[in-house]
Amino acid sequence: MSVADYAQRERVQLAGATVVALLIAAAVFTFVFDIALERLLTVGFLTRSLEMATPIALAAIGGLYAEKSGVFNIGLEGFMIFGAFSAAATMYLLGGTSPSQLDVWLAIAIAVLISAILTVFFAVLLIHFKADQIVAGLAVWFLGLGFAPFTAAIIWGSRSSPGLESINSLAFGQSPLVVLTVIVVLASWVFLYRTKYGYWIQAAGENPEALDTAGVDVNRVRYATVIFSGAMAGLGGAVLLAHAGNFVGTGETMVDGRGWIGIVAYLFGNYNPIGAAAAALLFGGLDMLNVQFQTVGIEVSARLVNLLPYAAVIVVLTAWGKTRMPSSVGEPYESED
Amino acid sequence: MSSGVGRLRTGLDRAAAKMLDATVLERIGIAIGSTALALLIGLVIVAASGYDPIQFANQLVVGSFGSERAIARTLRYSTLFVLAGVSVAIAFRAGVFNIGVQGQFIVGGFATVVSIVSLAPYLPDGTIGGVALMVIGTIAAIVAGGLYAALPGVLKAYGGANEIITTIMLNFIAIGFVGWLVAGRFGDPEATATRTERMPDTVGFPSVVFDDPNLSIVGILVTVVVVVVVAAVMTRTSFGYDMVTSGYQESAATYSGVDAKRMIVSTMTFSGMVAGLGGAIFAIMIQGYFTDPSGIGNYGFDAIAVSLLAANNPLGVVPAGLLFGGLESSSSHIQINSDVPVQLIDGIVGLVVLFVAVPELFRMIARRTGLGGESR
Repeated sequence: MSVADYAQRERVQLAGATVVALLIAAAVFTFVFDIALERLLTVGFLTRSLEMATPIALAAIGGLYAEKSGVFNIGLEGFMIFGAFSAAATMYLLGGTSPSQLDVWLAIAIAVLISAILTVFFAVLLIHFKADQIVAGLAVWFLGLGFAPFTAAIIWGSRSSPGLESINSLAFGQSPLVVLTVIVVLASWVFLYRTKYGYWIQAAGENPEALDTAGVDVNRVRYATVIFSGAMAGLGGAVLLAHAGNFVGTGETMVDGRGWIGIVAYLFGNYNPIGAAAAALLFGGLDMLNVQFQTVGIEVSARLVNLLPYAAVIVVLTAWGKTRMPSSVGEPYESED
Repeated sequence: MSSGVGRLRTGLDRAAAKMLDATVLERIGIAIGSTALALLIGLVIVAASGYDPIQFANQLVVGSFGSERAIARTLRYSTLFVLAGVSVAIAFRAGVFNIGVQGQFIVGGFATVVSIVSLAPYLPDGTIGGVALMVIGTIAAIVAGGLYAALPGVLKAYGGANEIITTIMLNFIAIGFVGWLVAGRFGDPEATATRTERMPDTVGFPSVVFDDPNLSIVGILVTVVVVVVVAAVMTRTSFGYDMVTSGYQESAATYSGVDAKRMIVSTMTFSGMVAGLGGAIFAIMIQGYFTDPSGIGNYGFDAIAVSLLAANNPLGVVPAGLLFGGLESSSSHIQINSDVPVQLIDGIVGLVVLFVAVPELFRMIARRTGLGGESR
């Protein structure tokens, strides 16, 4: 069976199972709760789900690139926290508590830059100093959980920011950041599967020796993808903040596991950017079901409904846990010469 | 057959090389180096934020060991960090990344409170009833913690689900679900804060030796016993031997007849049982009831740092746990007596974990400075 066949079968399987799951859910709602589906599946629900999916999808794209090239960036969650916080802090420094739309866009750009710079240090530790990728990635999460609220407390005197500004919707009610994410998803698919550099990334993860023999520096490819993954996670965090309009640093911060869900999204999407984005949409939709339940009057605790994405992640991982990882993930590469 | 033997040999060679690579002394050096470097960076950040680093360093010491009260507080937190740290060490030693200790700790502590509160009316008042309730509550915690950890173990062993992610998700679920129960079904309607009913007065450890209502010699003794038992199980029993071998060299363990899948489930269960016990101690010795778990402190997360500092050795967890108990204790002191935001301590913990992940960094420093001279 060729690789293409394999990928094709995976995709059919995935799509089939998702459709079946959605049909069952729909049947449960119509017959058990006696609720008309058109009231549950509204345009507003789609809009909110897309907004919720974008941060997850962006982080997933980043993580996917790093892992394709052979480095497991488990620090996505941490970089998302840094991204969200830097965006909030930049917005506040530029425009106080009433920043302009330009400030919001600038804040997103600067947050991506800061996340990328932080990821350079992380990449050096992983690639040059051969750090334990799992432990170092966890450390990034802890650093985010500590330093983002710490700096927030210095700036605002509290772990969370005051109300800042969220991004304006486009004419048809969609966030421009959703559009941006769709472009990023498509571009990253084309780059990965249709360009020379994309093949380098895949080779760095599957067969680094061959890439080295072909005269390409494996570690340079890996530096590029890891830094890209941190920047994407930072963008995801900044987008989350731009939709929410304020930074929350209590508990596990406003990122609240979305980086971890991003990892599952690209596993579920079988390392394909488009598949990862589709999986992110599934998790985003589950995250927003809460609002739908309230509007149709289903009496379920919001706190319980909010746990659905986490439960879905466990189900997905168990059903699709055995995705085919790139063969050299987690192994530092040392050139022979 | 010969290929199997060959693989076993290369496996053993690699394990031996690994052991030589990181001697005990080197590991202690890395632990001390990581902590010192993290604290140093913490002080630089304090200075950069416009506070007085010397005063901050002073408060770190005073807040952890400066007075009898501070020492009691340090020991109180240390018992929790040691128990949670041992739980992490069991799993990491066996090559299973149980990041879910926080959730298992919460589920365990909650099980203690619920079982004690619901059984209290059926047992006699007085010391005997209290002791019986504590025994039942502790067993409930151990069972609940063990089961809550067994789940991701089963999912990993038989479904291939990555345990790092499932255990993190289960942490979120434990916090949300127990929080929902504490606020609703098991909430105390008369309490102003969100919490369960208080456990009966007969439930609680005696305050001997330390004059602190939230620290008892019983809690410390339980912790010491757990450390000794776990260390003994891991080094002196065939179960422990198989567990550690499957962590270091899976193929070698399989070759010697260990069922790798069952080993994953047993390891997770064992690890979760200790985490659950930690939750029981937290509920009985410190809280007396159970609050919303989103605000109880990150014992299970920091325990990852504790275990890594100790190179996942249950005995090494004791000094590492004392260090973290001291940090936590001084952060309560700093919260009251200083303007420096206390979240800095969490950041310092993150730095410790980061540095522990990069032993190569310290080998390089050692080579450059000539410290540790002949090690290479």
